[in-house]
Amino acid sequence: MGKKKKRATEKVWCYYCDREFDDEKILVQHQKAKHFKCHVCHKKLSTASGMVIHVLQVHKENVTKVPNAKTGRDSTDIEIYGMQGIPPDVLAAHYGEEEEEPPAKAAKVEIPSTPLGGVVPRPYGMVYPPQQMPGVVRPMYYPGATMRPPGPVWPMPPPRPQQWYPQNPAASVPPAAHLGYRPQPLFPVQNMGMTLPTSAPVVQPSPMPGVTPPGIPSSSPAMPVPQPLFPVVNNSIPSQASPFSTPLPVGGAQQPSHADALGSVNAYPPNNSIPGGTNSHSYASGPNTSGPSIGPPPVIANKAPSNQPNEVYLVWDDEAMSMEERRMSLPKYKVHDETSQMNSINAAIDRRISESRLAGRMAF
Amino acid sequence: MTMVPAIGRELSNPPSDGISNLRFSNSSDHLLVSSWDKSVRLYDANADLLRGEFKHGGAVLDCCFHDDSSGFSVCADYKVRRIDFNAGKEDVLGTHDKPVRCVEYSYAAGQVITGSWDKTIKCWDPRGASGMERTQIGTYQQPERVNSLSLVGNRLVVATAGRHVNIYDLRNMSQPEQRRESSLKYQTRCVRCYPNGSGYALSSVEGRVSMEFFDLSEAAQAKKYAFKCHRKSEDGRDIVYPVNAIAFHPIYGTFASGGCDGFVNIWDGNNKKRLYQYSKYPTSIAALSFSRDGGLLAIASSYTFEEGDKPHEPDTIFVRSVNEIEVKPKPKVSRLVCGIVATVVAQRRL
Repeated sequence: MGKKKKRATEKVWCYYCDREFDDEKILVQHQKAKHFKCHVCHKKLSTASGMVIHVLQVHKENVTKVPNAKTGRDSTDIEIYGMQGIPPDVLAAHYGEEEEEPPAKAAKVEIPSTPLGGVVPRPYGMVYPPQQMPGVVRPMYYPGATMRPPGPVWPMPPPRPQQWYPQNPAASVPPAAHLGYRPQPLFPVQNMGMTLPTSAPVVQPSPMPGVTPPGIPSSSPAMPVPQPLFPVVNNSIPSQASPFSTPLPVGGAQQPSHADALGSVNAYPPNNSIPGGTNSHSYASGPNTSGPSIGPPPVIANKAPSNQPNEVYLVWDDEAMSMEERRMSLPKYKVHDETSQMNSINAAIDRRISESRLAGRMAF
Repeated sequence: MTMVPAIGRELSNPPSDGISNLRFSNSSDHLLVSSWDKSVRLYDANADLLRGEFKHGGAVLDCCFHDDSSGFSVCADYKVRRIDFNAGKEDVLGTHDKPVRCVEYSYAAGQVITGSWDKTIKCWDPRGASGMERTQIGTYQQPERVNSLSLVGNRLVVATAGRHVNIYDLRNMSQPEQRRESSLKYQTRCVRCYPNGSGYALSSVEGRVSMEFFDLSEAAQAKKYAFKCHRKSEDGRDIVYPVNAIAFHPIYGTFASGGCDGFVNIWDGNNKKRLYQYSKYPTSIAALSFSRDGGLLAIASSYTFEEGDKPHEPDTIFVRSVNEIEVKPKPKVSRLVCGIVATVVAQRRL
């Protein structure tokens, strides 16, 4: 478990103004609206430094303080995003205080967060696990539902692990931020050869050389062979598993049996594992892709070196059949042939029965 | 109805299984809904009233209006049916050799066009008496199973498996006017023509939509582009959702897209911008339809089995009022003006 003391409540809080929130998403929205907003044109940036640069370049003005921040916390040099980047001493001080006076703090906390909670429409069905302190090692597996490991998972491009740290402050915040949500399971699990999510994982932790949670992302891949978490498509694993340390073959062996348990990408039998191969072109784009300003707004607008392509996971990866065709193959949707055959068989049987009755051969 | 939630009003008596498609009528706010529960339902969207329900022999994969009193439905039992809403009767217009996936009615040609997994599209005369000999006008072979169809004016766009796209002129069906391959590298999910008839939007299972034009000239083809959408970036990887539905606003020409991520986005195709994103719906968006005046948007929040047979949120139909700001195009000019104003103001201040 975690070496650091676990707080009673798992609230996230804003470095700049000390307000508390129920989850990091709301916290981020708060920061964007209150601390990273340009006072001239009201554009919301994603970090303080981003906002400073924007104001300088666009409005030709120098910003020295983070708006709406408490004195002593208004430096524009510190890179904060959500709960990431908070200097450890401040972090400790905050929780130290919280322990001293939980009831008072709790009472105060409610008020600011509610209006925000009320105002900010919660994404409809979004489920984010309760935010934990980065210091805590999270359970290795993730309660099934959202894990989608097998199938088309992409090898992590080599440079990635090294880049985590240097990137951390500025760019990889988004992944890091999200890692706040469920970092560990993803990384270690991947190292494991992906199957884990559900059961075995808990056993696995041992091979994971000191996977330290925070900033983890860097360390986990920094395992024996920094690389490529090879795609965990059942068949391909064994061959590629060899260079890796022991965990993988185990993972590899477990693959087939787990495939069904995980309900992989599609719950339908065969076919699907292979199509993982087709996805090798997942980065391929059509002739004219990505028009200028379209696409869901990127998580971090200022994510500078986003040269490593993210892994791409396709929710529907079967090129051969459409979703409707797959659905139609389910027994409950079967139509036609069987029913009409059954009907004709039934009709034939009925005929026989009535004939026999007439012939007096049957009792009734 | 007092408080209408942000995501829209839920229609009562929704189908008991997945919704394959829904359409608003061209002459009223009646909504026709086809479902995997083998039924076709007719609703009065404003009054939240189920006006009719028709049961078929298999999952109904598509439906469309003929006029306010009748419509067509196509089914997994290979049949194309014509339904008289007022009389509450239906009959079979014709059949295919495999489940029929799409149906459209062309006002220009006065014909019903259906596409099936038997790799053909067929044209039917809806006024004919029941029985294929009287009603079938033509059958046209396609390279692969038909996944989606769309009509505008005299043009028909057929999207099949294998990423083929055939464009027909309804006045001459002997052969396609154009044979294309989808610009997207992944399976086509849906194709819809622009209301102005200049092209079509095509979406794939890989969270992408491409904007295409019929005109083959260089100038027109230079305008085509594709964009990524319905994706979620999480933990350093991108989760990419199929884009199941596209619906064009009849007046503004902007369009809504719905994906398996449960989101509906409104896009301005000409200015390459996203105009709006509605709050997330309980489950995948299976179908979208704007009412004839663009004032309402019907959204089928219905799990589309992208992850197999698993427990899912109930299949629901939401009808929401559309706000002008959500769908009105925003030309780039206005931004330029803002920039100029801001600079002038700033200079004045100095």
